[in-house]
Amino acid sequence: MNFWKLFWTVSLLIAGPSFAWITLVVTIKGFRDLRLMFRRLSQQSEEQSK
Amino acid sequence: MNFTFVDWAIVVGYLIITVSVGLIGKRFVGNVSHYLVAGRELGLYVGIATLAATEIGTITYMYNGELGYKYGFSAFAPALISGLVMIVVGRTGFVISRFRQLKLMTVPEFFELKYSRGLRLVTGILVALGGILNMGVFLKVEGEFLTIVSGINVRYLVAVMTVILVLEVMYTVVGGMVSVVITDFFQYVLLSVATILVSIYAVSYAGWNNIISKVTTTMGEAGFSPLANPKFGLTFLIWQTLLWLSVTTCWQTTAMRVFSTEGAETSKRVMTWTGFIFLGRGMLPMLWGIAALTLFGTGALTDGVPAPVVNGATLAPIDAMPAMLASILGPGVKGIVVAGMLAATMSVNSSYLLGWSAVISQDIVMPMRQLLGQSPLSSRSQIFVNRVANLFVSLFLMFWGLYYTPPGAVYLYLNITGTIFLAGAFVCVVGGLYWRRANTTGGYLAMLSGAAGAIIPFFFLHWSENITGFAAFGLAAAGLIIGSLFGKTSKALAEPEQIRQEAS
Repeated sequence: MNFWKLFWTVSLLIAGPSFAWITLVVTIKGFRDLRLMFRRLSQQSEEQSK
Repeated sequence: MNFTFVDWAIVVGYLIITVSVGLIGKRFVGNVSHYLVAGRELGLYVGIATLAATEIGTITYMYNGELGYKYGFSAFAPALISGLVMIVVGRTGFVISRFRQLKLMTVPEFFELKYSRGLRLVTGILVALGGILNMGVFLKVEGEFLTIVSGINVRYLVAVMTVILVLEVMYTVVGGMVSVVITDFFQYVLLSVATILVSIYAVSYAGWNNIISKVTTTMGEAGFSPLANPKFGLTFLIWQTLLWLSVTTCWQTTAMRVFSTEGAETSKRVMTWTGFIFLGRGMLPMLWGIAALTLFGTGALTDGVPAPVVNGATLAPIDAMPAMLASILGPGVKGIVVAGMLAATMSVNSSYLLGWSAVISQDIVMPMRQLLGQSPLSSRSQIFVNRVANLFVSLFLMFWGLYYTPPGAVYLYLNITGTIFLAGAFVCVVGGLYWRRANTTGGYLAMLSGAAGAIIPFFFLHWSENITGFAAFGLAAAGLIIGSLFGKTSKALAEPEQIRQEAS
């Protein structure tokens, strides 16, 4: 049982901070991705209408 | 009523902002590819946000909280498996790289490339059936959460959930995947903040040592070791690995994100990083459930676990976690958490509405028109059919979702309804991509025997979920192998453009 207690504690210590860290990175860098997506979609529509 | 004016202001403000932002998407929808796969222009970070937001809903928090309450730390096993499987699929590109290279828009489309139009139609029907049944319980469970945490009178539950559904349908119908991606991004940020806040509150209120002590005294080793817990065991772990392999590769809403990325390499990186998020997606809400057990688990024993008792009232285990949030979160924080949960609800529901309606329009309506010899539809007409299908799925959810109560643990009900098509689809996709002999006869046998293997044992023979899952995957694999060995030689994988040109 002690093995599993330690195992799940370590797993939580990896899962929790990973979740928080990835959220932070995605929040900061995701805006640039969104702007790029809008620009490319507009380009695609322009090319299609030509 | 548990809500203060500040909490209501936060929630209403969130709803206004999210719908306004979602409606922006309509400006960028020029053709059906924009509508269904955002023009395949998703970058890494927004890809991670939309994939995570799609698969993290209030329903996810509720069923994982329930698992934590009932099975303690043993419940962490499926969460660990889901994250590890995603990381492995992301690192290797198993199935997803080939899927992205093929430029698909739906999973059943692959069945026409490799097998036949008829099998695409059968798969489309099974995918839509399994997917909509799966989504059918979302509204009710999400409504329970909001009712308990906010303190809204149960009489208004249907009205509240109807308003939320109408709001998410508004932007999903008009802007398709573009709107869903934009809103998913903001919703992901908000739901993540709520997840982190609740985790800190739950552990600090219940106390880590108290949590360990409660699970030890209540469940003993079964509360920590998934191998010692009678609900899990080795068969469960193998079934979960198979299930998560199939979810990660063939689940329509997940696959749509892979199809929408800017390339195969990006799709692999999105999957890998989202795998780390999935560890927290499962384990953190399970921890909230265990904290609720620690704080409120004082009632009569059911299967060795004490029922939650809150303010003298005995609740169902699934309601323990929201009841805990209602009692430990202060004004303002409660509003942020409920807004985060609403964000989670809306991101999942909008993505699922789009996913299943895409299958109905692209894989049921279109192939049927072709089989009946009717003229092909223009891109604009395809978008119109998608929008109508979206409204149809929403109406179904309204009338079925709010009244149907799933038997047993919600997580396991969701697993089984997903398995109706996942077992056959996964076997056919892996066979179609990596086994040259896989043919249409084998494909039909796999899809039908996989569906029968999920429906008959669970709904009619009342077998356990583990055995049902094994039966479905085993029968599907046997069907593909037997049918392919005895049927006609398989055809080579067609190019998607060839299929689309034939259709138009």
